[in-house]
Amino acid sequence: MTTKQLSPEIEARIQELWPRFPPQNVAKALCIPVLYLAQQQFGMVDDDVVDLVAERLGLPPAHVKGTATFYTMFNKKPVGRFHLQVCTNIGCQITGAYEVFDRCRQRLGVGNHGTTEDGNITLSEVECLAACGYGPVAQIAERAKPDIPLYFENLDIERIDQILDALADGDVPTQLGS
Amino acid sequence: MAMFRPNWGADTVGWFDLKIISRHFDVPEAKDIEYFEKHGGYASARKAVKMDPASIHAEVKASNLRGRGGAGFPTGVKWGFVPKDAETVYLVVNADESEPGTFKDRHILFWNPHMLIEGMIIAARSLGVQNAYIYIRGEMQREYPVLQRALDQAYAKGYLGKRCFGGDMDFDITIYRGAGAYICGEETALLSSLEGGRGWPRLKPPFPAVKGLWGQPTIVNNVETIANLPWILENGGQAFADLGVGRSGGLRIVSVCGHVNKPGVYELPLSVTGRELIEDVCGGMRGGRKVKAVIPGGVSMPLLDESELDVPFEFDALQQDERIAEVEVQPGIKFDLGGGRTLRTMAGSGGVVVMDEDTDLVSACWRILHFFADESCGQCTPCREGTGWLVRVVKRIDAGEGRPGDVELVASIADGIAGNTICALGDAAAWPTLAFLTKFRDEFQAKIRSSTFVAQQRAAAEQGAP
Repeated sequence: MTTKQLSPEIEARIQELWPRFPPQNVAKALCIPVLYLAQQQFGMVDDDVVDLVAERLGLPPAHVKGTATFYTMFNKKPVGRFHLQVCTNIGCQITGAYEVFDRCRQRLGVGNHGTTEDGNITLSEVECLAACGYGPVAQIAERAKPDIPLYFENLDIERIDQILDALADGDVPTQLGS
Repeated sequence: MAMFRPNWGADTVGWFDLKIISRHFDVPEAKDIEYFEKHGGYASARKAVKMDPASIHAEVKASNLRGRGGAGFPTGVKWGFVPKDAETVYLVVNADESEPGTFKDRHILFWNPHMLIEGMIIAARSLGVQNAYIYIRGEMQREYPVLQRALDQAYAKGYLGKRCFGGDMDFDITIYRGAGAYICGEETALLSSLEGGRGWPRLKPPFPAVKGLWGQPTIVNNVETIANLPWILENGGQAFADLGVGRSGGLRIVSVCGHVNKPGVYELPLSVTGRELIEDVCGGMRGGRKVKAVIPGGVSMPLLDESELDVPFEFDALQQDERIAEVEVQPGIKFDLGGGRTLRTMAGSGGVVVMDEDTDLVSACWRILHFFADESCGQCTPCREGTGWLVRVVKRIDAGEGRPGDVELVASIADGIAGNTICALGDAAAWPTLAFLTKFRDEFQAKIRSSTFVAQQRAAAEQGAP
């Protein structure tokens, strides 16, 4: 058993969402929203977090784990403080995304889904972020912070270098986002 | 219709006078309910809550509005599938936009969230819905707070919740965030996800309109589809139909990316051809280069070559116009969609990807297949295994390690996936692959001819020769 506990904020959010779903379906329906919140709290969804969510919602842990592992946005392993996600899908590919992604790999010294030794940055190649006209595009998530509502668009080597510099200093370069 | 004459020759933004949904794009204040209302917003919803549901449905039918998510199915007909005696009906807005090349719904959610909410109120009135959900892509981190704030404002004004606009209708909207799965854009997978599990598609029939969310009749509509409803109610279904072409009403929001000078999101008449889209709307090709290929509606759709761009990017034209070549399984053998129907291409999600003459199409094909292999949900063997095989064979062709016969191998795998899966993801991987091979076979074969594999075989043969 885990000693982890869901935060009071998550409890409050569960109470808020509960009446929005039919009583007989609500526990299962809240599986994904609660996994989201738990990931925000714990930084990832490991077996402990799966058990915690299953217990709170009265669902079989197997169902919660099956759901968590289906979706790419639930991190099964710890990620760095910053999770840098670079799209390389078609719209970005044909405007130079692999140059940008290779630059990140090279500067950070990690492969796809790798985390820098200091635990600062995790680099991931992701699928389409729905900003194809402004490619290459990246998105940055910061651990334990609410979502950063920013996209980093029209990337090239110069711009990604600026972003990597800022992340190394512990900042999200919001002025470069849109 | 004389009222809405195209404004030829103006700057691209004013290329066409009328804007239905995009009229608030790039206006930051439009996210606020006050601004939105001052510019006519919520008038249609206010009217709708006092209207007879059947008369709203009649306007939608008359409008020839077709689903903007990909399939282009007539919205009014879809609504008509809901059983008349249904007690609980759900409305689900599909905001899981993730078809590569498509980024229009993200713009609507970010710039014009109230128009979506207003459209939902209208749809709810017509369908008798009390609970609706917006299934928004998890990755849309910038749009989610904007949409939530818009909902909060609508609740505060009494437009949502108990007794909307002081009428007799109760209506709640809840945002549900996806968590990173392309397949959840497929309507039955979306419902599986919304119920709190893996996003696994379900067999149709039964269609969601009959048996959907939690087994109840459910209408799943795309963001753009719903956002058109306020205009339809304001101006009448006929006026919307008159804006369109043939059996397709209204305007269409297309998102253009790739090698054009002005990529972006444009709301345009459906009569616009691919060439007009590139030259007149998007300011031509970058660096004055030539067009090599264009994907007309998201990567699931067969691509066009330069000679096929004079067809309007409209649902029926892209499927039927004889100027577009039919997709083949092998040279001379047409791909069969079933019942002898051949495949040209489709308007899909309106995501246009323009590729110039320097684009390596083998590499582009590989990247598209890599995406589908990654996103296959794993339920059906032909798709789960087949997309993996496709990506491995095309990868080796792309990497200069292709073998003689690989092109035929790719075609036979694709043909084995198409039509043999629960949902359309299998087709979505197979169709464009076959189109690449139909129209750009030479590029694949050239890479194979110069591959290391062929060189080694040749060297071995020469060594072994007497």
